[in-house]
Amino acid sequence: MDASLLAALGFLDCIVFQRLSPTEFEVLYKAGNWLDELLPETVGSKIFSFEHNSAYLEDFLIDAENLWLVNKNGRIDSGMWSEQLSNQVIRLEASAVVADKQSYLIVNKLNAKYKQKQETLQIARESLLTADKISAQHDYLHARLEELLSEPERALTANQPVTQALAQTDLGVAIFDADLLLLNSNPALRSIFDDSNIKTNLPPDKLLLELFRNQYPECERIFSTASAWSGEIFWLNPPLQGKWLKLSIQPIKNDAQIVQNWLFSVSDVTQIKYLLKRNEKLTHFDVLTNLPNRQYFWQNLEKKIQQNRPFYLLYLDIKQFKRINEIHGHLIGDEVIRELSIRLNNLVNADDMIAKIGGTEFAVILELKHSHAQISSTDRDYAVTFAEKLIGTSCLPFYLSSGLKCEVGLNVGVAAFPKDSSSAEDLMKYADLAVYAAKKRSISSISFYSKELVDASRKRIEMEDALRNAVQNHEFELYLQPILDLSSGQIIKAEALIRWHHPDGHMVSPDEFIPLSEQTGLIIPIGKWVIKEACAILKRLESQCEPIKLSINLSPRQVGDRQLFEFISDTLIEYQVNPQQLEIELTEGVLIDNYDKVHFLLDEVRKLGISISIDDFGTGYSSLAYLQKLPIDQLKIDRSFVNEINENSQDSDGAIILAVIAMAHNLKLEVIAEGVETELQRDFLKQHNCNIAQGYLFSRPLPFDDFCKLLHKTL
Amino acid sequence: MIQKKICLLGATGVGKTSLVKQYVEGIFSEKYLTSIGVKIDKKQVETNNQTVQLMIWDIEGIDRYCGFQAKYLRGASAFIIVTDHTRSQSLVEGLDILKMVKEVADIPGVLAVNKVDLPASWHWSETELAEIKQGFVQFFNTSAKTGDGVEPMFTHIANLLTA
Repeated sequence: MDASLLAALGFLDCIVFQRLSPTEFEVLYKAGNWLDELLPETVGSKIFSFEHNSAYLEDFLIDAENLWLVNKNGRIDSGMWSEQLSNQVIRLEASAVVADKQSYLIVNKLNAKYKQKQETLQIARESLLTADKISAQHDYLHARLEELLSEPERALTANQPVTQALAQTDLGVAIFDADLLLLNSNPALRSIFDDSNIKTNLPPDKLLLELFRNQYPECERIFSTASAWSGEIFWLNPPLQGKWLKLSIQPIKNDAQIVQNWLFSVSDVTQIKYLLKRNEKLTHFDVLTNLPNRQYFWQNLEKKIQQNRPFYLLYLDIKQFKRINEIHGHLIGDEVIRELSIRLNNLVNADDMIAKIGGTEFAVILELKHSHAQISSTDRDYAVTFAEKLIGTSCLPFYLSSGLKCEVGLNVGVAAFPKDSSSAEDLMKYADLAVYAAKKRSISSISFYSKELVDASRKRIEMEDALRNAVQNHEFELYLQPILDLSSGQIIKAEALIRWHHPDGHMVSPDEFIPLSEQTGLIIPIGKWVIKEACAILKRLESQCEPIKLSINLSPRQVGDRQLFEFISDTLIEYQVNPQQLEIELTEGVLIDNYDKVHFLLDEVRKLGISISIDDFGTGYSSLAYLQKLPIDQLKIDRSFVNEINENSQDSDGAIILAVIAMAHNLKLEVIAEGVETELQRDFLKQHNCNIAQGYLFSRPLPFDDFCKLLHKTL
Repeated sequence: MIQKKICLLGATGVGKTSLVKQYVEGIFSEKYLTSIGVKIDKKQVETNNQTVQLMIWDIEGIDRYCGFQAKYLRGASAFIIVTDHTRSQSLVEGLDILKMVKEVADIPGVLAVNKVDLPASWHWSETELAEIKQGFVQFFNTSAKTGDGVEPMFTHIANLLTA
């Protein structure tokens, strides 16, 4: 083979073999003398068979053979490997090639390429390891202090364990009260900001707050919504070089989910930044996705504003990404982010810019195709269409290298320049507010910054505040909706449904406050109140009326609460209620999302004697495997299926109900129909052996006394 | 003489290459040098029954720059997941890797808790560790620096594979 041709093709330090048969190869070309040592079987003969001298190469031949057998033009690579020769280590990569019906094996010696790759990855990995250690320190400290601080009787200033925890850590820590007044800090915080050349008029805690406020427009939203945050701030302290600080902020809430303290932990990551700076690409680009990073994006945003042409700023947040990390681990999480970034980047025009500005956040500057001073409704449509495309591509399943399939969603918050603001800070703040509003919806959504959005956000915060006080102020009430045996017409049990009497006099719908309490974690204290109140009602029913069973609903977040089982069993003992009088209802979604936790919980509650019902059956995931694996007693057919039974319905409209009834009976489960409103529906259910039902036909949910009256009547 | 392929897997910087170097050459270097791709080392071990040649595949650390490659496990008789007890995340990642291995290969796995010459600074409790160890046929506390636990680990695997 012509060496100059190979050189021109970039194959210099390489060996080229032609495959003659599955076991025979011919040496076509070799450079250097490393082949003789690597594969002695090639010495003295052009045609040879491999004799197990390079385990890696011969393993690769299995993949290569598959390509060669197909005999279509193509190429596969082995990936790099190293071989120890007598006086050197060589770095190699093999390629199997089919060209013009001929099969070739090329082995390249890539010592220089290896060294270059190693240098780049060395820096990236050193910084990754350091950052990893720092993150672990922050997480550990947060968990430890959260545990200590959430105990109500702790007096922060004289709290020995807290002081010890603060003294033992290398991280700078400041603990603030709910109004951001300093309660405690540690020597490490002072040493981070201690520099004899610097005259700061502010104490470290105030300086920290000021840096955060100045550098992150999201700060107000974080404090007002009691959100956790983590990121980097820069302390410019001329004439020195300045310090990069990793800051983690964590709200510490009490049992009633009210913020008691703010925990700030800080570490100096200037060294990591220095390491990254040695590799220029890494200073402006995110190492995971290769997209521009937050700093670079910020610079571009400011440049863009100077050009004074209208554009949209889109703030993207991956929906429910935490679940991917929790279920599949961080490596899979990283793979999903990398794949998602490629998909998003493919949709962005050359004139636009996309960046990764946080752990699960991206931002896009969307150029408008005109130079008018103002934004029009057509522009808005353009932004919506673009955002919909981003959401569309994000929602497609991710098929990962390990064979796993994952799904995520995307929330998009949009702010417009110059309509909403002419400052980079405000635009970021507004887009962040908008994405926060989008996050509140259960599906991937787009939200534009507007005055109404701010009002809605304020209203939401007000409702959240009111909700926090609702348990203490006894504003909740449990209504009971009877569940009847259709054959006897008797009430056999009831479902407990929560109602909120707002202090302003109106009744707030559970549809409004339950999702909010689920998002804010208030569902935990509210859920506990429901359990207690249900037990109290059971006790009263026993003494005043007839003892019947009561069912209560458990939400996804409640199921995730490790103390739930203990709380249920303690409350049953406290109220001296027979566990068999209690039933819990879960939706299909809860089962799928928290399968392991649910399995454990259900086994335990079942051992106590509590029965278990699947609510809204048929609307969820239709994964039926769990029906056999979990200890379930009843299925509740969702009201939407029952609604389909009316005068105009066709035979097929009842098909799902019939299928559910048949399946439940085969699995020895009871079936309860929800939302029965007409006699036609009742008769249909009776006719098809579904003998338990609830709905407005029989009774709306009633306050306790009214329910008792009804119960007496039917007895 | 029979040969057995063993794969060394784990997060970046846990000391996979150092363990092999200590085991095969008796050398340790303090300097961290990241590995790229795969390097295969061989060592003969006398087991209770026979002599076995271990083919030890030292595989690049799995992280955001290098994904898990199932093909490296082809023909392997056992695998070792190496973790670093000064870094909690290395065990989280080790467990992620274990899950991926279990999906493609039904072979015994050993857990190496490395760098035991340094004080432990991960936050796993003994109870958690005990549960995690259940996923492996055996675990070893190792130090590539002092050599503690290194030879016993490979010898254990060799015995296991020739029993």
